[in-house]
Amino acid sequence: MKGRNNELVFYCAPFFVQPNPYEIISINTQKPLTYCRFAVILFPLMRIAREHSPLPGFRLTLGYSVFYLSLIVLIPLGAAFLKTAGMTWGAFVEAVASPRVMASYRLTFGASLIAAVINSVFGLVVAWVLVRYRFPFKRVIDAFVDLPFALPTAVAGIALAAIYSKNGWIGHYLEMVGIKAAFSRLGVVIALTFIGLPFVVRTVQPVLEALEPELEEAAASLGANRWQTFRRVLLPPLYPSLLTGFALAFARALGEYGSVVFISGNMPMRTEITPLLIITKLEQYDYNGATAIAVVMLVFSFALLLGINLLQKWSLKEWSA
Amino acid sequence: MIEAQNITKRFGEFKALNNVSLSVKSGELLALLGPSGSGKTTLLRIIAGLEFPDRGAGRVLFNGEDVTYNPAASRQVGFAFQHYALFRHMTVFENVAFGLRVRPAATRPLETEIRRRVIELLSLVQLDNMDKRFPTQLSGGQRQRVALARALAVQPKVLLLDEPFGALDAKVRKELRRWLRQLHKEIHITSIFVTHDQDEALEVASRVVVMNKGAIEQIGTPEEVYDRPANPFVYNFLGSVNLFHGRVHGGQVHLGNTSLPAPEHPEAQDAPAMIYVRPHEIHVANQSNGQQSLPALIRDVNPAGPLVHIELERLDDGAKFAVELTREQSRNVQLTPGSQVFVELKNLRVFSEDYSI
Repeated sequence: MKGRNNELVFYCAPFFVQPNPYEIISINTQKPLTYCRFAVILFPLMRIAREHSPLPGFRLTLGYSVFYLSLIVLIPLGAAFLKTAGMTWGAFVEAVASPRVMASYRLTFGASLIAAVINSVFGLVVAWVLVRYRFPFKRVIDAFVDLPFALPTAVAGIALAAIYSKNGWIGHYLEMVGIKAAFSRLGVVIALTFIGLPFVVRTVQPVLEALEPELEEAAASLGANRWQTFRRVLLPPLYPSLLTGFALAFARALGEYGSVVFISGNMPMRTEITPLLIITKLEQYDYNGATAIAVVMLVFSFALLLGINLLQKWSLKEWSA
Repeated sequence: MIEAQNITKRFGEFKALNNVSLSVKSGELLALLGPSGSGKTTLLRIIAGLEFPDRGAGRVLFNGEDVTYNPAASRQVGFAFQHYALFRHMTVFENVAFGLRVRPAATRPLETEIRRRVIELLSLVQLDNMDKRFPTQLSGGQRQRVALARALAVQPKVLLLDEPFGALDAKVRKELRRWLRQLHKEIHITSIFVTHDQDEALEVASRVVVMNKGAIEQIGTPEEVYDRPANPFVYNFLGSVNLFHGRVHGGQVHLGNTSLPAPEHPEAQDAPAMIYVRPHEIHVANQSNGQQSLPALIRDVNPAGPLVHIELERLDDGAKFAVELTREQSRNVQLTPGSQVFVELKNLRVFSEDYSI
């Protein structure tokens, strides 16, 4: 028990600050509380909370948010880091940078990016049709958009594999023109596009609804053609929400496992995605190797999402300036 | 010269325009006035090309050229919307420059020329030095002026304004109204504006088109439509009016015990009649003036403002009506609520009852 505790302190070491420039004194014991570096972030927030606010409840909700995020997100993810930290550097590099793993990163990030781009374009079109036009079964189609959320991804994977395989409904036409859809990288993109579709539609839809049709009419009366109207009048206000949808679809695709394994064929070096590789390692009782790869994915995903978020913030400022 | 000929437009079952014809002279400032649902905005949008008439039901001509089914982008019209429809992600400058920037390369002015034109237009709408602002940083009146400058930038053949001041508060509205009239005097562009506000139409326009239920009720100068309304609808819609029910017989209208001349109905034989009189065209006296005056009871007197508003009730049938007196006039009569007075109707219009609104 004691040993375990020491271990924890050891791994947490980079997070400790000695001495803490924002040292927090415990109200009850008057002793300095040494917490993790998060205190640096929390302290200014708490100072805001201490001032009288017309919107009470800040401390309660912030406390709850931190607690909740820790329980559900930070602690499990932290555990992955802890586990990985037990590896030697050489073992870590071998686990995360072997050619087979590198190939899987390329496929996972590449296919997710392509799928997210496809979803951005077609999600926008779907949102556009749903917002701007009235047609029969509009509500039904609107509901269809959410199906990829609800469907067990394995079901989607099996269905897609069956349809896009060599003798499937769509696959056999693609076969005729020499395209191998299922059990190829294309199959991975198809599956990731499927599961990411709702994100862009659902983020763009409300913003599009708020854009008055008069804007288009104004542009038209000023002589703009449809493309100019889209490019100069409609797209700029949609850009932040489009980016959000893109980020969500991208993030979702990075972590997708269930649907891809059925359609990709899982050939090492060619159609093997990183999440599958993690499962494979787990099945071989290589827990360190599995978490190491997970940590690498986590760091890259976080960096990418942070980047997208910053881009979005910037574009939002641009739009509402 | 802008012409709309025999235009019919249906939205499902609803007939927004029913065989409407209108011609707008070059350089005039025309008001389309009517209650909501009268079809005025639909007519404006059809002229703009933002809406099309029913197939085969009418034509739109710009200087004799048939543009009925041409898209808005090719018509060279300037359109100002009630809620401005400014592009919020563009500066004022870029908003105004938009119409010039989207031109095909062959006809697009040079950047320096665009800059010159935009600055000139902004100065015309009195928004000098506002070019770098964003629409959200402007007041409603300023936004509408940006929208006007943007519409004028493309040098339109006709300027169309859909309830241009509808979203503004009363004071700004009045200012902008006068300003628009002044602007029109300066640049003389053929303009049509839609409004449901009769004061606005009468004050700004050089001609007023009164519309109701998808049809035109009357076209005329502000004086004509106000002083000589063609029918009860126009009478009702333009300014406040009192309605009396009586009978018309051989050029005389009978109202209770009084009878007044009604020369426009010489052949009427004891027909029911509607008599319209504006509140300021009723004379009030404490003494009877013989045959022509009508006894009434004073119900309420409100002396606030430049006019004294009096609510009266006819002694014979109890019908209520309103009178407006200037302060000058009100000094000559005793106006005690509950007391009896005699009223004399001046400048009345008689419509025989078979006319239905």
